[in-house]
Amino acid sequence: MDLTRDRLSASKPASGVPPWTCPFCSLLCDGFRVEGSASLQLQGSDCPRARQGLSHFRAEPAPATPRVSGEAADLDTAITTATQWLRRSRLPLFGGLATDVAGARALYRLAAQVGAISDHAHGHALTHGLRAQQDRGMFYTTLAEVRNRADLIVCLGTSPAENYAEFFWRCGVSEDLVPQRHIAFVDAFLDPALQGLPRVTSEAIAAQGDLFETIAVLSALVAQRQVRVAAPALAALAERLRAASYAVIVWEAARLPQHGSLLVEAVQQLVGTLNRHTRAASFSLGGSDGAYTANQVVTWLSGLPLRTHASPAGLEHDPLRFDAQQLLADGAVDSLLWVSSFGPELAPPGTTLPQVILGHPDMVVPEGDVVFIPVSTPGIGSSGHLFRVDGGVVLPLTPVREDGLPSVAMVVARIAQQLAGKAQT
Amino acid sequence: MTTLRLRGGRIVDPANGVDGEMRDLCVRDGRIVELPAQAPVDEEFDATGCVVMAGGIDMHTHIGGGKMNLARLLLPEDHRSGRDPVAPSTNPLELASCGNCAPGTLATGYRYVEMGYTAAFEPAMAASNARHTHMEMGDIPILDHGAYVMLGNDELFLRMLAERQDHERIRDYVGWTINATKAMGVKVVNPGGISAFKFNQRQLDVDGEHAHWRITPREVLHTLASTLTDLGLPHPLHIHASNLGVAGNIESTLATIAALEGLPAHLTHVQFHSYGTEGPRRFSSAALQLAEAVNANPNVSIDVGQIMFGQTVTASGDTMRQHANADHASPRKWIGADIECDAGCGVVPFRYREQSYVNALQWAIGLELFLLVDDPWRVVLTTDHPNGAPFTSYPHLIRLLMDKSFRDEQLAKLHPEVAAHAALREIKREFTLQEIAVLTRAAPARLLGLHDRGRLGVGAAADIAVYRDDVNPEAMFSRPDYVFKDGTLVAEAGRIVATPVGGTHFVEPAYDRSIETLLQRYGERHLSVNPRHAAIGRDELCRCCGGGRLLPAACFQPANTA
Repeated sequence: MDLTRDRLSASKPASGVPPWTCPFCSLLCDGFRVEGSASLQLQGSDCPRARQGLSHFRAEPAPATPRVSGEAADLDTAITTATQWLRRSRLPLFGGLATDVAGARALYRLAAQVGAISDHAHGHALTHGLRAQQDRGMFYTTLAEVRNRADLIVCLGTSPAENYAEFFWRCGVSEDLVPQRHIAFVDAFLDPALQGLPRVTSEAIAAQGDLFETIAVLSALVAQRQVRVAAPALAALAERLRAASYAVIVWEAARLPQHGSLLVEAVQQLVGTLNRHTRAASFSLGGSDGAYTANQVVTWLSGLPLRTHASPAGLEHDPLRFDAQQLLADGAVDSLLWVSSFGPELAPPGTTLPQVILGHPDMVVPEGDVVFIPVSTPGIGSSGHLFRVDGGVVLPLTPVREDGLPSVAMVVARIAQQLAGKAQT
Repeated sequence: MTTLRLRGGRIVDPANGVDGEMRDLCVRDGRIVELPAQAPVDEEFDATGCVVMAGGIDMHTHIGGGKMNLARLLLPEDHRSGRDPVAPSTNPLELASCGNCAPGTLATGYRYVEMGYTAAFEPAMAASNARHTHMEMGDIPILDHGAYVMLGNDELFLRMLAERQDHERIRDYVGWTINATKAMGVKVVNPGGISAFKFNQRQLDVDGEHAHWRITPREVLHTLASTLTDLGLPHPLHIHASNLGVAGNIESTLATIAALEGLPAHLTHVQFHSYGTEGPRRFSSAALQLAEAVNANPNVSIDVGQIMFGQTVTASGDTMRQHANADHASPRKWIGADIECDAGCGVVPFRYREQSYVNALQWAIGLELFLLVDDPWRVVLTTDHPNGAPFTSYPHLIRLLMDKSFRDEQLAKLHPEVAAHAALREIKREFTLQEIAVLTRAAPARLLGLHDRGRLGVGAAADIAVYRDDVNPEAMFSRPDYVFKDGTLVAEAGRIVATPVGGTHFVEPAYDRSIETLLQRYGERHLSVNPRHAAIGRDELCRCCGGGRLLPAACFQPANTA
């Protein structure tokens, strides 16, 4: 059975309608449809993450009103209040950052204007990969390469489909692009959906000690160094890696333990060793809720990635010090701008600081000094762009139905204009 | 309607054969016009003692897109000053952005414009990364921009070539790709080699065979070059030849020129492709050989890719060669990628050292190439930013080209064997201001088919740089008194005074749309994006580019349908 292609053709939208891109995880699947007269139903996939994401939207969007300290307010008042609070703030923190390219572009300009520190809601996970990249670099691959080439996929500490249900289908695992693939789950559950698929074998391999030791042993075996104690399954995997034409090591940022960047470095070292004689690459899962998008945009505009402070002394980047959670816990900042446009779940961390929240209309708004501005969700209520899981691919987002709410970019640009003393437009 | 007059400048406008004529230059609504001497204008600028040129055009500079953002991510140290942050600009018009060899897009725009440049072209856009590339370029303030899409390593092209599909089908695919990615041209990087590396091939000569597709780079080159001629693209095939950086690669470069069989093409960063194997170190200058070939083949133009000493980062689509170079990385880290069955990427930081024999010779080879090619209209001044050096070193490079004694002084500081024996010592040529204007604006405009840029004649766009005359060309070209973009004053004495959004240059060649059936079938089976998301429309381009003007360039009427 040719699973992916059947699924794609089953969900093909009528011609003329632009394809829908799912904004609810960084795979950005654009082969499915959304339908429904009351609730929005996913067609062509049973991805739980997409279904959960869609469950927060009705086919007919309900009106949503901004609030200032618990009281309903019009948009102008909310924006003016937000502007005043940001103007008063000596060190604002921009957190969440769950938005699209246009939102991230506007947020960086505002951050530069008010001297804010920026960190994404998934900043902790993002930092594992970022620090490894800054210290050692990396070699990575993308979905189409995996589809067409990968004869061995090693999932390290992750069973990808648990959080990225469509991952293996997007990789074309059972398609005849590659005659035979082997998928190894190291220190992770064997994915039952792979059982019985043509052209695919799979196995689960237990960790030797913890994940750090496991990858160290595997690396040493692949480099054909002496290893005193090596689990036979790991030794066999090392042989498979050396024999593979194109091995892909998959890891998931959100599942890495403390000091995860050391694991990422070890993965890169393993890939580097393999690339001396055969071909291999890494593939990381992460970057949902606009995390990769915000990081890409801030990096190209400023030169530095997230966890950067646009300070009066210049741009200061510190992947450890500018952790939003820690800054709030330490009382190191004096206001919070929180952006969460893809759903109500990604709420701001608890704080008593003045907060400006640009969020999904159903978000539970904290009490206290809070300006809440409901914003449109790119890909549901408005158009936009997001970066996909593998880096360079940017997908356009088409609304399922317009929701009439302002976009993050629009609200942030108006705050910036007011701060600069320009007339409202 | 706004008008302005630049009074009393010395006009250097080689596109119109003007060389140092003292006269006023007038502008109305962003275009150069002729106004009577006493006609009132809205604003007047004193240009006495100044040289007036068209705005600079950099036709090969890695300013935006996936690999440059990887370079920024790889090098946080490029965005610090030792342990401290880079001091911010005191100019409130400049938003925080920094970096030397991998600057943020905002800083890229500010620094280019301060030097009098008004347009820059990203030469290596992966088709799958086109939206991202246009977004980054759209966030470069002021500068107009455009990009060349990479072909010749995408599996579909190689498959069509291997299957000996009709030339017209391949032409339609190339035409579709240019339209879909809103490109200004097509670049081929290590023809077939990036793909071959994905199949674990480590080397590919012009007549070598791709391990999987069994085609040769010669076939890739000739097919692409003739395809672009058929499509009427104003900029011919932009070629990053085989074997970049390899001693003895002059053979590949000469074979590349031969493979064109007279078809027009632009060979890029030829400094990295002009190495011989003579001498005890088996590494020598082949600049003379290449210059002779360029002089003998009027179908070929070049840009140099000059190196300068110091820290930089090399960012290239040439995964095969960058993987081989990665062991020389300084600092010792690098990023590589295999990308979407259409491209690759290798980002390797590098420090060029004066006392390194190889680096010193590379420096000399670049300058020899500039000075040995007879026709300045076929040479473009580049450092292949940031691969040879950051673009901010252009004023220094201009001085090296204009001042023989300064050149000799610099040469004397280098590795003693190079200082003593380089052929550069014997070259007496010094470029004139007219020739510098050709290399930095008139020639790139002509090679790109920009009919109203790179020149100062009536009707041209008012992209103008006004340089205060100085015996030291480095000082002169570092900080023009005035820079105008489409008639708007954007920089004054090295300070940005306005930040309009730049426009996007692109071409839309005609092609047979029946090719889309093949692309849909291929995309559904092999690629990872819904085929109906593959193309960028004009409205979407506008959103990607931050609302800048769309500047479609005209194609030639294809010869066979004229």
